[in-house]
Amino acid sequence: MKTKFSGILTLLLAFVVQFTFAQEKTISGTISDESGMPLPGVNIVVKGTANGTQSDFDGNYSITANVGNVLVFSYVGLKTIEQTVGAANTINVTMQEDAAVLDEVVVTAQGIKREKQALGYAVSEVASESLEQRSEGDIARVLSGKASGVRIQQQSGVSGSGTSVIIRGFNSFSGSNQPLFIVNGVPFASDTNAQGNFVNGNNGSSRFLDLDPNTIENVQVLKGLAAATLYGTDGRNGVILITTKAGSSGQTGAKKTEITVSSSLFLNEIASIPDYQNEYGGGFDQAFGWFFSNWGPAFKKEGPGGWGNSSAFDANGTLPHPYSTASSATGIPQAFPEYAGARYEWRPYDGVKDFFRTGVVKNTNVNVQSASDDGKMSYNVSYGNLEDQGFTPGNTLRRSTFGLGGRAELTNNFTASATLNYSRTDFTSPPVAASYGSNVSGTNASVYGNLFYTPRSVDLMGLPYQNPVTGESVYYRQNNSIQHPLWTVNNAGNSQLTNRVYGNLQLTYKINENLNLMYQLGIDVYSENNVNYANKGGKTGSQANRDGRYQTWNNLSTLNDHNINLTGNYDINDDFYVSFAVGATSKRTVYDRNGVTSTGQQVFNVLRHFNFAEQNEIQFFNERNLLGIYGQAEVGFQKALYLTLSGRKDWVSNLAPDNRSIFYPSASLSFVPSKVIDALAESEAVNYLKLRAGYGTSANFPTGYPISSTLILNTQTFQDGEGVDVVSNTTGAQLGNLNLKPERIDELEFGVEGRFFKNRVTLDASIYSRKTKDLIIDRPLDPSTGYTTTQTNIGEIQNDGIEIDLGIDVFKSDANGFNWNASFNWSTSEAIVNDLGLDTDIVVYEGFTNLGNAAIVGKSLGTMVGTAIARDDNGNFRVNAAGSYVTENGLNVIGDANPDFVMNWVNSFSYKNFNLGFLANWTEGGDLFSYGIATPLGRGVVTQKGIDRQNSFILPGVNPAGQPNTTQINNSTYYFSNVLYGPDEMLVYDATVFRLQELSLGYDFPAKVLEKTPFGSINVTFSAYNLWYYAPNIPSVTNFDPNVAGLGVGNGRGFEFLNGPSSKRYGLSIKASF
Amino acid sequence: MKKINNLIKLVLFCGVVLLSSCETTNVDITKNPNALTPDQANPDFFLNSVQVNFAFFVEGFGRTGSQMTRIDYMSGRDYTNAFSPTSFDGRWSSAYRGMLLDLKTMNSLAEESGLTHHIAMGQVMQSYILMTLVDFFGDIPYTEALLGGENLNPASDSGESVYAAAITLLDSAIANFNDTALADPELDFFYDGDWDKWIKAANTLKMKAYMATRLVDGSAIASFNSIVTSGNYIASTADDFQFNWGKNVLQPDTRHPAYSASYTTTGGGRYMSNSLMDYMAGTDPDAYSSPSRFDIRTLFYFYRQVSQTPGIGGEPADEEVLECGLINPPPHYAGYTYCGVPKGWWGRDHGNDNGIPPDGFLRTLNGVYPAGGTLDDLSYDPQVNGDGNGGAGITPIMLASWTKFMIAETLMVAGDAPTAKTTMFEGINMSIDKVINFSPKTDRYNSIFGTADGGPALALESDYIDWFNADLSAEWDAGSTSDKWDILSMQYFVAMFGNGTDAYNFYRRTGYPTTLQPNIEPTPGGFIRSFFYPANYTNTNSNATQKSGVDIQVFWDTNPASPGFPVAN
Repeated sequence: MKTKFSGILTLLLAFVVQFTFAQEKTISGTISDESGMPLPGVNIVVKGTANGTQSDFDGNYSITANVGNVLVFSYVGLKTIEQTVGAANTINVTMQEDAAVLDEVVVTAQGIKREKQALGYAVSEVASESLEQRSEGDIARVLSGKASGVRIQQQSGVSGSGTSVIIRGFNSFSGSNQPLFIVNGVPFASDTNAQGNFVNGNNGSSRFLDLDPNTIENVQVLKGLAAATLYGTDGRNGVILITTKAGSSGQTGAKKTEITVSSSLFLNEIASIPDYQNEYGGGFDQAFGWFFSNWGPAFKKEGPGGWGNSSAFDANGTLPHPYSTASSATGIPQAFPEYAGARYEWRPYDGVKDFFRTGVVKNTNVNVQSASDDGKMSYNVSYGNLEDQGFTPGNTLRRSTFGLGGRAELTNNFTASATLNYSRTDFTSPPVAASYGSNVSGTNASVYGNLFYTPRSVDLMGLPYQNPVTGESVYYRQNNSIQHPLWTVNNAGNSQLTNRVYGNLQLTYKINENLNLMYQLGIDVYSENNVNYANKGGKTGSQANRDGRYQTWNNLSTLNDHNINLTGNYDINDDFYVSFAVGATSKRTVYDRNGVTSTGQQVFNVLRHFNFAEQNEIQFFNERNLLGIYGQAEVGFQKALYLTLSGRKDWVSNLAPDNRSIFYPSASLSFVPSKVIDALAESEAVNYLKLRAGYGTSANFPTGYPISSTLILNTQTFQDGEGVDVVSNTTGAQLGNLNLKPERIDELEFGVEGRFFKNRVTLDASIYSRKTKDLIIDRPLDPSTGYTTTQTNIGEIQNDGIEIDLGIDVFKSDANGFNWNASFNWSTSEAIVNDLGLDTDIVVYEGFTNLGNAAIVGKSLGTMVGTAIARDDNGNFRVNAAGSYVTENGLNVIGDANPDFVMNWVNSFSYKNFNLGFLANWTEGGDLFSYGIATPLGRGVVTQKGIDRQNSFILPGVNPAGQPNTTQINNSTYYFSNVLYGPDEMLVYDATVFRLQELSLGYDFPAKVLEKTPFGSINVTFSAYNLWYYAPNIPSVTNFDPNVAGLGVGNGRGFEFLNGPSSKRYGLSIKASF
Repeated sequence: MKKINNLIKLVLFCGVVLLSSCETTNVDITKNPNALTPDQANPDFFLNSVQVNFAFFVEGFGRTGSQMTRIDYMSGRDYTNAFSPTSFDGRWSSAYRGMLLDLKTMNSLAEESGLTHHIAMGQVMQSYILMTLVDFFGDIPYTEALLGGENLNPASDSGESVYAAAITLLDSAIANFNDTALADPELDFFYDGDWDKWIKAANTLKMKAYMATRLVDGSAIASFNSIVTSGNYIASTADDFQFNWGKNVLQPDTRHPAYSASYTTTGGGRYMSNSLMDYMAGTDPDAYSSPSRFDIRTLFYFYRQVSQTPGIGGEPADEEVLECGLINPPPHYAGYTYCGVPKGWWGRDHGNDNGIPPDGFLRTLNGVYPAGGTLDDLSYDPQVNGDGNGGAGITPIMLASWTKFMIAETLMVAGDAPTAKTTMFEGINMSIDKVINFSPKTDRYNSIFGTADGGPALALESDYIDWFNADLSAEWDAGSTSDKWDILSMQYFVAMFGNGTDAYNFYRRTGYPTTLQPNIEPTPGGFIRSFFYPANYTNTNSNATQKSGVDIQVFWDTNPASPGFPVAN
């Protein structure tokens, strides 16, 4: 590690272009803010001259001046300070916040910089301090909880698994609801290319994983449509604006070359393992058997449940070894002669816990930045390396990133800047697919699908998992029908190796003081090499999977974005100013998939296509062009009232000519009463107040080729009598719809921003109402129409929500004193389906056709449907003659996955050089249909508190005769046939959860200690992720963490099919700059 | 001036970039490159697709029909919930989105090119599809179906009118077969281009339709008999209408679906019906060692992986793999087989929904007929994929033996039991003959039931057939009319092993047999007189309404309501 580190250092030193030494006597000093933190980027000007400079990263500055000169220190949002130069050569300055001014400048849509107070819509910002040195390498997961109204959900705790980002709730159930990522001003592909569907396995990373959070300077979240109109259709779900350190070069004007190195080491553990019981072992109905279930005899001899009652055991309570009694057709007795006559000990084994490991997460980052003396040329180089070992054996994520950015202000009024980034992300995982708590349900294997319900009496880690002769999976079940999870880890897997290059080129020409012309090119190309393999000898999934399968394919995604715009700024008079922007943009996306599926492995464990009997093609191609023109005008009055009007028109390539384009406008108003109302301006209580209103619109275009009908050709439909393949064609399932048009989204937003009580309390609140009309949906059709799906425009969804950000400086003292800042963000959103069109009242849009999310008129989007417990006319549960619930078939509402609200509580404490922070999350409500919860219960590997297995249950309800049910059922019938395999409704749990999402404790080495070292600063931080959670309405023995998304990154919510547990992480990181 | 120059430079630069990538600005990309377009269709390819899908369709509904009539095992103690609406989504989609739309599209191409035999084959399959959908669901979309965007919510037509349309299609098919085609189909999976046989098949399907509707159509039996008189129907096994499956495992999987479900590396995936095995093994628990109405087809239909059934017939029980062997039969099972049939015929009782013990290499599997599995030659070896005939079985659609049973039914209705008996035995022996000659026998089989290697070790195959005929004949003669109906129907069901669609129709039409094993649940609710509509129909079509229950009777079923009819339920 050490040699590697010094190697990197040497490399980076080569980038150092020049050191500047002051030749003359200067005045120098340090500029800090009220909390004592150094302030970089403060402008220092000798009053009345052109002589000026900026403070560097550590807040240091130096400037040549004569005694008697006045130095003017100014910084956006802080009070300007004037200091007269005296005899001293050092002038240290502490700058105070100026709430009255707050001319904070933010980057808005299309890179247009505007004063924050002029904005009529909400913008959330997250700075690098909240993003760096985290144990999660996924930028979205790091953002979780840090901005109101942004909901982040991981697919699972698998390192490198997908992540869903939803801003202000769902607006559509067929189109994507994921936001647009803009990195350094240009679009950034953030797709999740899952390797299949959730049934057969959907491993695959979300491509913002290619961003290293440590290289990010800041993140801004544009939530509303008024904010995002200029981004066009892609901005309809909100925009995540990311500025990387490479992209921000030149903006701080740092003079000194600075190198920052950080290195972290975290441990990664499974967070959600059931609390297994150790009283009973495998079997059913208290009888022993090599079952999937754990409803067998007790581990003690005596008592009605003891093993002494079963003839399967000998006097010592041992069993014939399962490998000696397996059917000869499994080959197990022949392959393991050593177990002939062997006995197997009847006792609990802690196999599931031992199956998982503690993963090690290593992270190294180096950042170099520098600028020329005059600040007109600057560059930034960054390197990052992440090695994230999952808690599941076989799961790792490796990522290397390089970034290079530079900026030059030329003498001929041109400014050129560019960034270029390269990333290499390598994700590997054992297969993960849906399981119903009884093997997998799809065609592939799943590492979790046969794991969590392992009977306690099964020695998961001790039983050999591989047939030494054939290599096939072996396990305890007598017909060998369960694939050993260790075999899965060692013989099947998915990987996704992504090489990606993205960057931008920007050329600005300053026509005059008022006008700028800008051209920007964005490129983003990634090549995703996917592998899905299974050696032959597996016991689950399709025949092809069992015979050995090897799939390799490449996804080549290309995104080209051109953008040209003219911006202007005119002060009409002292009161009025006008600014405007007009521009045109084109965005071309091409997605090209090519590969091969091979089946029929010949030699075991050789994974090359030549070693397989059959090959089949994998090919898919999608391209779409989008052209847009946009314009925006802003009028400001007395820096207190602002009106912004904007609009955009888009053309898309995959619709019929008549429906190809759409125009959509927006308008917003900002009013700052604290500037004009004297009472407020003079008030101690109200330091700043802004009211805003915005009306925004956007459009959504379909993806794919929705207007064309297709014909499917299959060259291997069947074989004729001679074994020759038969070619067939069949009409495509999708009905092309020439009349498809873009959908239109309208949003009204009101907000208030303020600072109160000497700026100790800050508030930012928004309320919005959004309507999506003419929704583009994949409408399922009755096959009797001849088709099973069509894209069409129907209906209306209304999404209302509230977001509140409240910050309080509970304790505020000088730099080294005790400070405590607590901030809350609270948000809620609910999308209601107002209308689904004239001829349908329900559309099941995710999951299975009979179990999934459905859009139902009058119900929340996120409503879950499935089979329910049948009720009689009085609403009583119906119980059948056997004593179990009667199932009501059809699409019954069984839950709503949409949480009531989400609240985050961010705390930061600092005292002297220590700082402590934590982020706690409270998600209230939202339902979860979960096999991860029901399976341990239904399979009897856990025992709920207060339940005696030998007692019987009587389900509440009425029997077939209409009388109160009195039929007793035993424990296994209750849990197995009702809790696990009863009506779907029985598997729905309330997913309310309290979570300690982040915890960090940091220490900054004092400047005195560092004086004689080359280091400018050293910081050591302990941090942890998901250390604790509590889900009060989920059976506590299952210890289930509801932060999972079983259906993958998409529009499905509230379903979980043993798709993988969550993780917790903790560790140390060191950051040093010099 | 310099500024202007720079501006020009910038504009030029941008222009070059934009123009050099004019593919960026093309806003007309609507054709899907991932598939063909409909105008590239080929009638032969359509017909290939339809034939293969038709085989799966017939096999699928045939299995459901078998499950209802105890030819196969059904899991579900409650008839209302035994088959969820979604379980038919695939077949509904395959019927309409697949076969019927493909045929409609093919027909317009075929008509232009004079491909009358393509059209005729399609019409025969279409008529079978329509009749089957009506048989299982009742009223279905027909006249408003397949209109694409013109009608996204097709209303249903009465089952009666769809049946009438199906018969018209068969008449039209016969005319088209008689026509000279400009080109014949590339592939005919059923009769390899023998159009005379196709005409027989079409006529026999008309007989099936008349038979199905005989309760509601006074002239049906006369129409039926006029075809019988013509002689132009499937009267010989050589004319059997059936689909042949292959042995290829992957890409494509051509194996018989019952084979691929049962012959796996982890053992059997389906249970056989105790009810049918019990009937076929005869009235003596020792079956073939002291045969009493022992049916030799038992060894061809079923493959036993073990020679004894634990807990049954005096064998020690085994709680690990056949728990019910330890338990007394429920009271309503008095007189019926329970849990398993002695001597290794290890299946499940009607309605049993217990969890699955590790019995994959112990339970009875599908045999050599019709699934292409293994012939039971008393060797009791556990079977895996590749064993036996490797899945090269058949799905019967309409067999000569079945037409004999249909004729026997008309004779029973007419009160002519003696001729019915003769006709029934013709059917039985056609079936036995077909089954025992379905594929080459093993040496072991021949040494036990033939003259090879000094055999027979037990008795000759032909002896068993003779004894069986004699026993059954005596049973018939001794029985009442109702008993005769029971014998006729049970033997019809046995002959239909592999496709129970007509068995399900027969059971609802006649109420026979009255002797079928009841559901293991004493109160399973009324028998399924028609199934819930598929979920992808009722959930997406605003003109479709799901049924209130499974007791709704199809148009030709004028029998008393469920429960109470059929008697065995």
